[in-house]
Amino acid sequence: MRLISIPKDKYDEYRLNVIFDCYKWDPQFLDNNTIAKHVLVITKEEHEELMKYTESLDVETRAAEEFLNKNLKFAKKLALPKKLSRELRNMKNYSPDKHVRLMRYDFHPTIEDKWAISEVNSDVPGGFAEASLMPQAAKDVINMEELWHKNFGDILTNAIAKKVKVNGTIMLVHCTSYSDDRQVMQYLGDKLKKMGFKIIYAAADHLNFKNNEAFSILDGNEGKVDGIVRFTPLEWLIDIKPKRWQGYFDTITPSCNHPVAIFAQTKRFPLIWDLLEKSGLKLDTWRELLPETIEVKDAKNKEGFIYKPACGRVGEKISIKEACVEGEYEKILKDVKKHPKKYLAQKRFNSKPLVSDEGENYHVCLGSYSVDGKHAGYYARISKTPRIDSNAADIPVLIEGGIAL
Amino acid sequence: MINKDIFKIWAPVDAKWVDWVRPVPFISIDDELKTYESFNFVIPNVNYIEEKSVDTAWFVDLPSYDSVAEGLALASKFGFRPIPIYNGTNEQQGAMANVNNQTIEVALVWGAYVLLKLKLEKDALPVFLLDSNRMNRYKMSPSVFDNSWDIYHQDIPSAEYFLNNGIKKIVVRGKEKIEKDLSKIFYGFQKKGIKFFFTDGYSEPKEVVIKKPKRDDD
Repeated sequence: MRLISIPKDKYDEYRLNVIFDCYKWDPQFLDNNTIAKHVLVITKEEHEELMKYTESLDVETRAAEEFLNKNLKFAKKLALPKKLSRELRNMKNYSPDKHVRLMRYDFHPTIEDKWAISEVNSDVPGGFAEASLMPQAAKDVINMEELWHKNFGDILTNAIAKKVKVNGTIMLVHCTSYSDDRQVMQYLGDKLKKMGFKIIYAAADHLNFKNNEAFSILDGNEGKVDGIVRFTPLEWLIDIKPKRWQGYFDTITPSCNHPVAIFAQTKRFPLIWDLLEKSGLKLDTWRELLPETIEVKDAKNKEGFIYKPACGRVGEKISIKEACVEGEYEKILKDVKKHPKKYLAQKRFNSKPLVSDEGENYHVCLGSYSVDGKHAGYYARISKTPRIDSNAADIPVLIEGGIAL
Repeated sequence: MINKDIFKIWAPVDAKWVDWVRPVPFISIDDELKTYESFNFVIPNVNYIEEKSVDTAWFVDLPSYDSVAEGLALASKFGFRPIPIYNGTNEQQGAMANVNNQTIEVALVWGAYVLLKLKLEKDALPVFLLDSNRMNRYKMSPSVFDNSWDIYHQDIPSAEYFLNNGIKKIVVRGKEKIEKDLSKIFYGFQKKGIKFFFTDGYSEPKEVVIKKPKRDDD
């Protein structure tokens, strides 16, 4: 795995192309440029290893969530929000074959020359256009034709097309006030539209459900919906009034993702692994890659543990001291003390930074997608600190060697 | 010109502060560009300042295209660099929406031609442009497409960046008051030593103290 610098004289044009042609509408976060000046190149061997790991993790995760859906008593320790827990019993009709299951596992190289994963983005992973279009934009400026990438967007849209009726209507459910949500949906919508689908960009409360089927109530776009792609996180969904969101849990309309995704989305998922294994489930790949995870109360006198929020996203509220801004670390510890069940303690792994041609160290988070059990491409971010959060920069991933799909 | 060209006029690569120009309204400009070019807004007279101060950045927070026009007035008269930070998206085709973000696109195309005629310094002081209609949350029915939006701390430079670049004061040119979302950000800036001023466009900017945001504003 290595970093290749984008030639300085080509970077400005590259950045502009990424913004306009690769749906990167948020190129700046506070004082940080979020479009990396490098390309991440992984070897064929690394790709094959990651692909294998991703698919193994996916088998284990999906088996676990299907088991939990039928045995909800095991999910109690996940300490999901009450409103959400109440709805889980309505998912009994969940049929994996009817829906599209999308996940992204976040890998990190460690100083022991191994991989560690920090989480699975099980519910609403993002980075679609960055994973699909940025690699080609980068290839256009670095002149390394031998490198290739897996087009995540093609894989996801083909999976959706297999499960949604031909020329059907797909609602792309997102927070319509957030342009960074819309950019993800717009990329997907433009692709699906070209495939013949009718696309509706709308918010979670623009869906109504009758007889377990989804209907749009969006002004000027009313009618039956044949597919749902949801980018509004489940824990946000349940705060939406009126409560039309209940229908998401037992709908038979093909969904990506179905709310069954919540079991692995909570970072407290590892806290029930012992119980799951006693019931015959295998979690060997998870055990190999995820650092030891325990309850907050059990980490009191233990060295080397960090706190993570159960429902955290993009690295927020993780207690890596040197990555926190002024006062943030103390604020997190205070919140952990107040709400221990909303957090977990995890053994900190030692991220191995990559060194750029300019001699700068960058930590890497390499997200590896799976779609319906198959590896589906990469979305990566780099950061000068070990915590990869919103200040990190998006970096395209290219693969060396022959194509191994 | 295509949308990228319009963006480059507003955000020339070698100019200061332009990293914060939000691309969102520029993205969907393309198809209707020819129509946009025929619009002609008026640059207003600016009488509430006599000269710019080198330690002061400005935020213009006015409804819709008025904010673009006012920003260009400050650019024309005092040499400020207008930094559009509009972040609202367009509604689903056919749906009623609570904010008209398209007019901003039209104004930005028109404004690009105005900017082309100006010779702004590379390190010109910034005037950030915002649409004060952005927080129009009123929905007459649940079927309305909500494309209202807020400005967040991550959308503008940090207090440290302002201070490190010699900015000790921020003037907000608004309608009546500093809006809620800006106040939330600016309260933190104030704690770090930045002073705030407000003008409604009729009188000179007056110093204001930003109140601590209420809990339910979080």
